[in-house]
Amino acid sequence: MKCPKCLRPVDHEAESCYSCGYSELEAAQKYGANQVFLNRIHDAAACLRKQDRDELAFALDQLEVRFPQMLFCAYLGALPDDLSMSELGFWLLNHGQVKGAEYARPNENGILLILDMNTKQIGVSLGYFAESLISEEEAYRALLHARPHLLNAEYGEALEKIFFRLAKVLRKRGRKLRKLSHQELQEQSRVLNNKLLDLPHHLTPRVKPEESQEATLRSA
Amino acid sequence: MNRFLPIILIFALPAVVFAAKVEMPEWEETASAEEYKLGGGLWPTASKSTDGEPSSTEGAVAKSDVAGGAETAEGSGETKGQAVKFYGPAGEVVEVTPSEEGEKQLPNPKADGNELLKFPDEEVAREVPIEALPPLEGKLADTYFEHAPMDFLIDPQRLLTEQKSNDIKRFLEFHSDESNFHIFVMVFGETQKIPEDIDMRKLHKEWFSETPTVVMLYYREHPEMTELVFSDKVSSSLPKSVFDRIRQNCLREGAATDLAPDQVEKMAIELSIQLYWLTRLMAHETTEAQSLAAEKSVHEMAASADAPELLREYAPGIFVEVKGRKVLSIVLTTLLVLGTIVAVAFVGWGILWWRNRDRVAGKPLLFPSFQIVPRLGGEFSGGAFVSMSFEINDGSDFAG
Repeated sequence: MKCPKCLRPVDHEAESCYSCGYSELEAAQKYGANQVFLNRIHDAAACLRKQDRDELAFALDQLEVRFPQMLFCAYLGALPDDLSMSELGFWLLNHGQVKGAEYARPNENGILLILDMNTKQIGVSLGYFAESLISEEEAYRALLHARPHLLNAEYGEALEKIFFRLAKVLRKRGRKLRKLSHQELQEQSRVLNNKLLDLPHHLTPRVKPEESQEATLRSA
Repeated sequence: MNRFLPIILIFALPAVVFAAKVEMPEWEETASAEEYKLGGGLWPTASKSTDGEPSSTEGAVAKSDVAGGAETAEGSGETKGQAVKFYGPAGEVVEVTPSEEGEKQLPNPKADGNELLKFPDEEVAREVPIEALPPLEGKLADTYFEHAPMDFLIDPQRLLTEQKSNDIKRFLEFHSDESNFHIFVMVFGETQKIPEDIDMRKLHKEWFSETPTVVMLYYREHPEMTELVFSDKVSSSLPKSVFDRIRQNCLREGAATDLAPDQVEKMAIELSIQLYWLTRLMAHETTEAQSLAAEKSVHEMAASADAPELLREYAPGIFVEVKGRKVLSIVLTTLLVLGTIVAVAFVGWGILWWRNRDRVAGKPLLFPSFQIVPRLGGEFSGGAFVSMSFEINDGSDFAG
């Protein structure tokens, strides 16, 4: 895993980045600790036509039927220069609340597509459960699959393609997991959790939750 | 002495120069010089006269030689008062009276042989000596009619050129190999006639009773006199109009050219084609088949692979079907190959599409739950992120 801010590798159980000390508390201080409501297709940049939005919504409906646990959502916006896409994805998945998916699909099962119209970049943020099903390479391959549509400014089709490609990965992953027994699943979960980096202990002082809340109030 | 030597040389040298002559070859005898004939006798005798006035007697003798050897042999000695007969290639007889002789006499060329090249073509053609053909009697008639012919081309008088004779023979042999209906060609002179005591039908029956055969009687440079003799069996099996049509077609081909060898060649080829069709007609004796066959052209039939190239010149139509079939086979092969390639490509594309399709439909898929430890203080996400740039001038950026 990498730090959303400095993109350095971080430990699997690290509470903050070893390099820059970045954590969710810093993100909350910077962008707010409150919850924000999101649509499944949050087009803040207004770059999707209605037809594209409808088609994409229909595709997401199909995906939600096929994968009842997973949360599929997309954020399209023109991000400011001081806001990186990885930070926004990290913050949105932890503070966002997608309408209509409050309890059935928690954010840890979320697959959030972020499209920045300023830097012409697209990214995928994954919740904890989603990242255990989809590897970074598979996510990147899904992005590449939609590159022609992105170059032609067909953003609706591009997002649809990416979601479908990720759904394909999920389907394959589900087929493999179904063949595994309970013990094997537990073993796999243990292996996932034991992916620890042999890094030294973080020397920077930890930020307490109370302090972060005070800082948020002060900034507000 | 040395002082007078240049003076002597000055006077002596011009005298020597003027006295010098170029030595030319001379005839040993005067008589042999007169007997010399430019061009080996190919040129008319009158044209070689060096005195500028052709001898009318010599010219008359020469022309009488053209008229016929019999008269010359008798030594009758044509005089100026007698008419001289000229026989052209087409048998045309030109009467030349003594009064006209002076006007029609050949120009008098000089001794230089190059002047002969200026003779008009018409004059030279008139002067080509053609030997009169003897009548078909005695031994000459026996060479034609005594025995059944062994060769398909019967030309004991060598009226056709050797090369064309060989070509025609080759063609007739080819025809006999390919067809059951054989062709025999008898070549006669234009002035010759078949003796009255010889019945060609009878001879035909006697010679070719076993195999269907046609004998073409050709008279040199007179294709309109050509006769076709069929066997009685063949003649009786089909209406006369069929044979008339065959003869008309042959005569039409023969009339297309003036030279005897070419006429024989064309007529033989046309006869061969017509006989092929005649054989087909005889095979289908029903009225319906005859009418159906009459509608088709013989040129729609294909020639066999070993047909001589001679046929291609005169009947190119019979090679068309073979060419068309070859082109058709090439086109079909090309289409087959292209079709196979397209089919393979289509199947490959289908497989790739099936594998790469984004299939969503199906039963709901539930994943087992994992126990995951939070990271970076995030409640739902630990910052797993992958991005890519889609700027045209920018390379893709992989960030995890």
